[in-house]
Amino acid sequence: MTIEARGLTKRYGGKTAVDDLTFTVRPGTVTGFLGPNGAGKSTTMRLILGLDAPTSGTVTVAGRPYAAHRAPLTEVGALLEARSVHPGRSAYGHLLALAHTHGIGRSRVAEVIEAVGLTEVAHRRAGGFSLGMGQRLGIAAALLGDPATVILDEPVNGLDPEGVLWIRTLLKRLAAEGRTVFVSSHLMGEMALTAEHLIIVGRGRLLADTTVEEFVRSAGRDEVTLRSPQAGRLRELLAGPGVEISGGGPGELTVTGTGAPDIGLTAATHGVPLFELTPRRVSLEDAFMELTRESVEYHAQGVAA
Amino acid sequence: MSAVAVPAGHRITPGGVLRSEWTKLWSLRSTWWTLGSVVVLTVGLGLLIGATYRDHDGAPGDAVLVALFGLQFGQLMVAVLGVLASAGEWSTGMARASFAAVPRRLPVLWAKAAVLAGVLFGVGLVTVWVTFPAAQRLLSGTEMHAALGDPGVVRGLFGAAVMLALSAVLGLGLGALLRSTPAAIGTFVGVVMILPQLARLVSYDWVETAMKYTPLNATDAIMSATGTSHGPTPLGALLTLLAWAGAALAGAAVRLVRGDV
Repeated sequence: MTIEARGLTKRYGGKTAVDDLTFTVRPGTVTGFLGPNGAGKSTTMRLILGLDAPTSGTVTVAGRPYAAHRAPLTEVGALLEARSVHPGRSAYGHLLALAHTHGIGRSRVAEVIEAVGLTEVAHRRAGGFSLGMGQRLGIAAALLGDPATVILDEPVNGLDPEGVLWIRTLLKRLAAEGRTVFVSSHLMGEMALTAEHLIIVGRGRLLADTTVEEFVRSAGRDEVTLRSPQAGRLRELLAGPGVEISGGGPGELTVTGTGAPDIGLTAATHGVPLFELTPRRVSLEDAFMELTRESVEYHAQGVAA
Repeated sequence: MSAVAVPAGHRITPGGVLRSEWTKLWSLRSTWWTLGSVVVLTVGLGLLIGATYRDHDGAPGDAVLVALFGLQFGQLMVAVLGVLASAGEWSTGMARASFAAVPRRLPVLWAKAAVLAGVLFGVGLVTVWVTFPAAQRLLSGTEMHAALGDPGVVRGLFGAAVMLALSAVLGLGLGALLRSTPAAIGTFVGVVMILPQLARLVSYDWVETAMKYTPLNATDAIMSATGTSHGPTPLGALLTLLAWAGAALAGAAVRLVRGDV
């Protein structure tokens, strides 16, 4: 089922957590919800689930506000970042209490416990669970209603490598089954591995709504920085289709779309001296950092050496 | 979307939400401990007082109040149970799961109140029906002796069970309104236990009248077989306790509907 946010805005007191977000999340693929900490990802997810009411704008799941569904757990299953379990209750008791609200049977409870691998500890108090076990319990709760849409807030947080791999496989499987999978992360690398579509936010605002492929193509282009006393002439010589040239300082150019060897050969052919020719690989993380630089809440201050 | 097998027929029903709250209540050890303590304390103190009671001149007393003396503590304990059932949702984060499952929210509050009131009425009834006859066997021959057939006794025993149920609901309402266990317990102790004591120091008529309708004085009045001087009539006491529990619950409902979870 499609999640649609239109002009979604949430202010707490004077602080704007989510600022005029408009996006659509579609079924059948994993959509990554990416942004630095404090970008408003968790708030957006709370708004989708109706836990918080938007200051303005709307968000619907399958065409209706979440709260308007007769069987919301079969529409949306959610794992929120903050733990949502009473520590004194067993995994089984927790899931059974949620299942009863919708008339979901004990066999389904046992099924999701089995699916997340908690069968052996199902009757132990959740307060004693490790971070990873807690995440698994949260995912069991999300899957309880066999929902058409799955929302997971930072699901790999605190998981060991095996758990991370398990989540990746699970997300892809859920999407392959035709479900809408909306998963948040502050790690670009993680999203590049699991998501097909990306919604990138910073300070509550939409920064990009794109596919991972497109993001990689536009961001992953190598950059070459060069310095030459005849930068102007070199600029004319290098110009061509697909080549982008921007000026840096005096006598400095930044070139994308052509490699350092080609630039060096062109310069040699025309007798243009080069003082510097530096190729730089732009990683996905770099591109993401670049995109969100303006919107990171707290920068580490560079310490002068 | 045939690949997605949405279970047929599953939806939120009032009965389902009640079962959910029933499961929530009994799947916590604190429930068993609290209710067990209420029963043991009430029966135990009833027997202790029955065994040690001596008549002394001039001291007014009531056959039911004396036998059920332990409920003074029991009332606080069930109120704490009510607070834990609601404020505990927020302090643990469970509220997020509960209200994502039932996003209309109010059914959760009503179901919690109904389950708690029902359980406490039942447990209360059993407790007083064990305590009173046991204590009265020991009280025979004293001024505090009474039989079940004496005027007001059965009404007082039912009143005690109702009082427990409504005290738990008052705690529940305060917990859901304040969303903090310490704040809600503090408010309960302050309003129910301490305020009437402080008010005795003030000798205005209207204060005395108002104090009749505090939960503590209404509690004595609803349990008493012969009536109390400091409380309303039994019916007035029932209405008073209903009003307090209802007001707390209404406040909680308004906050639940208006605000974010």
